[in-house]
Amino acid sequence: MGLLTLAQVSQDELRHEILHTWETARETWHIPIHLGPIDISIDKSVWFLFIGTALTFLILFVGSRILSTRPGAYQVIVEELYGFGRSFGGQVGEEGKKWFPYTLSLFVFILVLNLIGLIPTSYPVTANISFTIVLALMTFILTQYEGFRRNGPVRYLKSFAPPGLPAKPLMVPLMTFLEILQEFTKPLTLGLRLYANILAGHLIIFVFLGLILYFGLSGVGAIVPLVSVPLAVVFYAFEIFVAVLQAYIFAILTQVYIEQAMFREDH
Amino acid sequence: MVEMVAQLDPTGIFDIPNTRLIFWEVVAFLILLFLLIRYVFPPIRKQIQDRQRAIEESIDEAERTRREAHELLAEYRRQIDEARGEARQILDESRKQGEAQRERAKKEAREEADKIIERARNEIGREREAALRGVRQEVADMVVVASERVLKRSIERDDHDRLISDALDSLESDVATSGVGDGRGGR
Repeated sequence: MGLLTLAQVSQDELRHEILHTWETARETWHIPIHLGPIDISIDKSVWFLFIGTALTFLILFVGSRILSTRPGAYQVIVEELYGFGRSFGGQVGEEGKKWFPYTLSLFVFILVLNLIGLIPTSYPVTANISFTIVLALMTFILTQYEGFRRNGPVRYLKSFAPPGLPAKPLMVPLMTFLEILQEFTKPLTLGLRLYANILAGHLIIFVFLGLILYFGLSGVGAIVPLVSVPLAVVFYAFEIFVAVLQAYIFAILTQVYIEQAMFREDH
Repeated sequence: MVEMVAQLDPTGIFDIPNTRLIFWEVVAFLILLFLLIRYVFPPIRKQIQDRQRAIEESIDEAERTRREAHELLAEYRRQIDEARGEARQILDESRKQGEAQRERAKKEAREEADKIIERARNEIGREREAALRGVRQEVADMVVVASERVLKRSIERDDHDRLISDALDSLESDVATSGVGDGRGGR
């Protein structure tokens, strides 16, 4: 075993090893910028946000510039991606299709950030709750904008009370309150779902690998890597699937929420 | 407040509000949206639509070509059938013509042969006639000479002729009765 012998770490050290990505992000590659009282410094998370944004743009931009009538593999992928995004539209009504460029961009953006986050020593931007909540907030703003714009303010607000309620004086305010509350929980769950899924995936992998550090390689600890490394690999592969799935869920739910608001009166 | 949250969450896992990330996220995402919707999606959409149109046109074209090919095939089949029929007709006709020609030739040959036979028969008849006449004359002359010699006198012309005739007739009848056997034996 000689060289492979690893000193057991304390629980504090282990915790740091597992969480180092998040703990060190604020200080890594830090460029301090302040906009008045607001701290808009560029740190590791922002760098990876930039990388992801640029990559999203480049993937699609290159795909849009090498178009030919006889498509190569890359063009097929980009076109399939576009066609996939187009299929998001029209979940509730045909008119909702006009929002698919937004949800398609959202899908590719989140997918790229999810996948970049899986690269070791990178920063998973989508495992940051500030990021996901703000994206969900954008969905919320667009949803309410479309709801008010298409239905008109009065009709839209009235639609929060479902028709045919018994005991109207009591039920109408109650149901309206619940429905409006739901309008706010939608973006909250949207943001939390993406954040929690990606974060959990990363933490599980780190925890499995952290077990090796915790047990060391002496004695019983020698078999820990044999279990935890394959398990970490399996979870890593599963995370790739989750990355696609969560990007899809975020995008499709955004589309559905917007369209539901658009056609609220009709349903 | 940021410091307060940072104290609550030293790990950075529940990183809210991360003003840095939020600010740059909004900026980056809006720029990304603008660029994608303005410069990236339209050419892709156009390309897909163009290809769709091209495919539809190709399908229509193929359909048209197929129909044309079918029509051409039917036309050729019809032409071949016609040609075959015509050939059969020509063959039949020529066969019939040949048959007729042969019949005619046969008939002509038969007629010719008949004519030749007829002519020959006539010729034979005439020759026989002439021969008979010659023989008769000869015999008459010989009889006259012989008679004159025997009788040594001249006979009146009329009696002379009558006598000859009588003699000849008797001779002829003799020849006829005995000459049949001779004639058969001579052939």
